[in-house]
Amino acid sequence: MPSQADLDRQIEHLLQCKPLSEAEVKTLCEQARAILVEEWNVQPVKCPVTVCGDIHGQFHDLVELFRIGGNAPDTNYLFMGDYVDRGYYSVETVSLLVALKVRYRDRITILRGNHESRQITQVYGFYDECLRKYGNANVWKHFTDLFDYLPLTALIESQVFCLHGGLSPSLDTLDNIRALDRIQEVPHEGPMCDLLWSDPDDRCGWGISPRGAGYTFGQDIAAQFNHTNGLSLISRAHQLVMEGYNWCQEKNVVTVFSAPNYCYRCGNMAAILEIGENMEQNFLQFDPAPRQIEPDTTRRTPDYFL
Amino acid sequence: MEVEVDEKDLKAAGAVPLTDGRCGLLIHGWEIESRKRAILNTSTVQEWEQKLETTHLPEMVFGESCLVLKHVKSGTKIHFNAFDALGGWKQEGLPPVEVPAAAKWKFRSKPFEQVILDYDYTFTTPYCGSETIEIDVEKHGSGKILEANSNLHWEDCEEKIDVVALASKEPILFYDEVVLYEDELADNGVSLLTVKVRVMPSGWFLLLRFWISFAGSNKLIAWLRVDGVLMRLRDTRMHCAFGGSGNPIILRESCWREATFQALSAKAYPIDSAAYGDPSIISQRLPVIMHRTQKLKVSGNL
Repeated sequence: MPSQADLDRQIEHLLQCKPLSEAEVKTLCEQARAILVEEWNVQPVKCPVTVCGDIHGQFHDLVELFRIGGNAPDTNYLFMGDYVDRGYYSVETVSLLVALKVRYRDRITILRGNHESRQITQVYGFYDECLRKYGNANVWKHFTDLFDYLPLTALIESQVFCLHGGLSPSLDTLDNIRALDRIQEVPHEGPMCDLLWSDPDDRCGWGISPRGAGYTFGQDIAAQFNHTNGLSLISRAHQLVMEGYNWCQEKNVVTVFSAPNYCYRCGNMAAILEIGENMEQNFLQFDPAPRQIEPDTTRRTPDYFL
Repeated sequence: MEVEVDEKDLKAAGAVPLTDGRCGLLIHGWEIESRKRAILNTSTVQEWEQKLETTHLPEMVFGESCLVLKHVKSGTKIHFNAFDALGGWKQEGLPPVEVPAAAKWKFRSKPFEQVILDYDYTFTTPYCGSETIEIDVEKHGSGKILEANSNLHWEDCEEKIDVVALASKEPILFYDEVVLYEDELADNGVSLLTVKVRVMPSGWFLLLRFWISFAGSNKLIAWLRVDGVLMRLRDTRMHCAFGGSGNPIILRESCWREATFQALSAKAYPIDSAAYGDPSIISQRLPVIMHRTQKLKVSGNL
């Protein structure tokens, strides 16, 4: 088992956007699993804390996020999932977040997003990136096995409910969520799937989501859920928004998205939500980090398409 | 994504790059410009939703991005933009494609599970470009630019775009690709509308491509086990040769292809995800459901 000094060294190493060795990842994931298995489906979190949305392997923008929001552990963080896929540095991104979790377990909360899954990561990049950087799929296996242990939701001071996607028609209360058996791959349907996949919608009631997983839920549903559970706000991620955050459903729901210039071409801002010592809310928006040119955006030769 | 162009090639072809930070060039009386901007912000999205009378737009709408090819003398402007394309989507109004999971849900008994999707969330569009005549009234003192659709008529024709000539490796003086809108179908696949252009000493050529690869509630499973849904490709190519004494003629070929994964696998085509992620690889295997060739004669003056 590595000591704190080892962990500090690994975090330093990762902050330079350098991946850990396969053996280090294995040990790190074992340690993280031992911590996460003790956490709840609705993990209680104290304020002050800074709430973050999707990162998607945009490592340099994660470092920018820490520059804007304050370094861990000086600032407490709650990440709402989707650390991997799409960006070029899923390995470094998820390694850093897991290492920070292991080092500062009470100051970092990492929830599960719909991309923290074996199936989705095989399509959207994390699996391929692991093969490319390690020459085999072991690191992908260590991480995806760990993902099964990530908490599904968090609750800040019994008031702000945080999760990746949204509500589920099968879950009326937080106790319903607490009763789920979460240690498994994200199922194709059902309550656990809904929490990671659902979206708020302008239409009232429940709707079938075009995503084919999860549902859409209207303002009536969100207001009822908040009322039933004594909540003031549902904070979620999962959807790209140009300004980095977006209030909807009469401020029952807020979407936070923390990957600026998503996919290196959307031109959107990112945001994080600071929740202060007295539960006051403050959004910080940020632009992409200045960076070296990413692999796909380099100059290319003319294309004689037909 | 910029392409290095040899200045000697530009000079030899009589092409002049656009100034003031604009991306494109002036060549043989054509002003060709691409604009690549960020996705629409939330308030503009709401504006568009009102104008288009919809509550749903693609996840990424590059509403300020466009490709414009303007014949300066006649004011004829061929252009490509997301708003007109989405107008086409609304007008065509295809019924929604159902993912296997969603179809299954309809048979459930609880009332909240009986909601049926009421719009085509693949954003399939028949769009094949916009055309206007832009009259530069500045010459007449009012300082405004008027646009009119009159006098532009695409007529069906027998001529075809000369693909062999286009395959020759003459220098490319300008190249760009502009994404107009994109939706990941929420991890079910992809829906993408892009336009690519290349300008050579002999003429300009462009490809507007709408592409969906829609694979059901889990793309991976759908690809590998082939129980997914649909692939749809709608290409529009335009070619305009420079030179000649007459007025320019633009040829336009639209070709729509479509197939289900099941149909492809029944023909024993190899099913692997890499091939099906790239329309240029798969396109020849998809059956053609519509093909049309048209031309537009650009008038020399107003």
